[in-house]
Amino acid sequence: MSQPVVVLNSVVKRFGAHEVLQGLSLEVRPGQTFAFLGRNGAGKTTTIRMLLGLLKPDAGSIRVLGLDPGKHEIEVRKRVGYLAEDQQMFGWMKVEEIVRFMAPFYPTWDHELANRYARQFELPLRTKIKHLSKGQAVRLGLLLALAHRPELVILDDPALGLDPIMRKEFNRDLITHLQGEGRTVFYSSHLLYEVEPVADMVAILDHGVLVKQAPTEALRDQVKRIALSRADHQEFGSALNALDVRLSGEEAVVAVDNAAAAIRALEAAGCTYRIIDLNLDEIFEACVAGRKDNHDSGPVAPAAAGVG
Amino acid sequence: MFIRIEKGSSVSISRQIADQIRALCLAGALKPNEQLPSVRQLARELAVNQNTVLRIYERLSAEGWLEMRHGDGTYVTHRPPIWRMNGQRQQFADELQQLVRRGLMLGLSTDELRELLDQALASQAEVAALSHNAQEPSP
Repeated sequence: MSQPVVVLNSVVKRFGAHEVLQGLSLEVRPGQTFAFLGRNGAGKTTTIRMLLGLLKPDAGSIRVLGLDPGKHEIEVRKRVGYLAEDQQMFGWMKVEEIVRFMAPFYPTWDHELANRYARQFELPLRTKIKHLSKGQAVRLGLLLALAHRPELVILDDPALGLDPIMRKEFNRDLITHLQGEGRTVFYSSHLLYEVEPVADMVAILDHGVLVKQAPTEALRDQVKRIALSRADHQEFGSALNALDVRLSGEEAVVAVDNAAAAIRALEAAGCTYRIIDLNLDEIFEACVAGRKDNHDSGPVAPAAAGVG
Repeated sequence: MFIRIEKGSSVSISRQIADQIRALCLAGALKPNEQLPSVRQLARELAVNQNTVLRIYERLSAEGWLEMRHGDGTYVTHRPPIWRMNGQRQQFADELQQLVRRGLMLGLSTDELRELLDQALASQAEVAALSHNAQEPSP
């Protein structure tokens, strides 16, 4: 077995009294496109900054390409391609100037490849960065992140601010230039439907812990809502491991994380129930809903509490 | 091969693509022995993970719709496996049964249910006519 490219083991990070990551563990396998999802403020960028050695964890351990980024920051940065969220570049530089400027930082920089990407991405070499469109700027960022042939590419919400057509183009670039070449991709986003077409694995982060991780293909089979009578819910609800419960009329509608197990439990109990397939927004919502500290979504039955 | 993907739907992308390829075979839009785009091509065109496309081709080959010829490409088989549809037809009948029960619970009359079915059939016919026209542009 080849070793994982990224390993986080019970990572804790605090900013003052605020615990941003509360024991985060995850693993990214070689060649995988790993979608790292969460709402704004869930801890995604903090995690990425730690992967790059820009922040150190307060507890737990991190390995990137087998190295501790806190100790081997330079080595990690050499072997990782990074496209920052809303990347700031020197606006007064021309495209060809920043490409030449970046090259010496990386021993493995491939000039041929940089030129090829510039052509394929249709980047105007003599244009100043501040005059690039949003889509061109993202592609320039991608060129700079890829031209040193990194083993791991970290993309921090790259599609943010791109229109739907540019997003599709970006996903195409990702498929051709990253997946097609067998690279490992760590792709952070707050939009599940945006990463679904390209991701092999989906992980959902909420309030500093991973609330869900599943192969993209399995996600819809695992997370569903099940409607049953309130009486049955009172009696058997605790067996369902509910993520979230909504009461409507005579029914209790329960979001479950392991639909197969929940259905077995209901079959064994002889309940009548109805299965509701969820779209990706609903799946995302179900995964983060049970942990939300708000009470405006209506009364929650006791069975929803105490699950964990 | 025209395939459209509905983002964020409750039907997974792989099932959306597989269903549409089966439908294209059944409708004769994909003909026996016709070559499909390569995994890379289709992945790029649809902006979908190559592994996903590969798994779809493999599944449809296992079901007898497609044939992956080693080192050559993926082709439509001589005869679509109609017999495979039996299980799916049963499942469809069950789903329809459930749907009808829900409709009745919502207070729809049998006539109203029939009318809804007619409407659905009519709109499908429209879609089919549109895609037929799209495939055969007027000379």
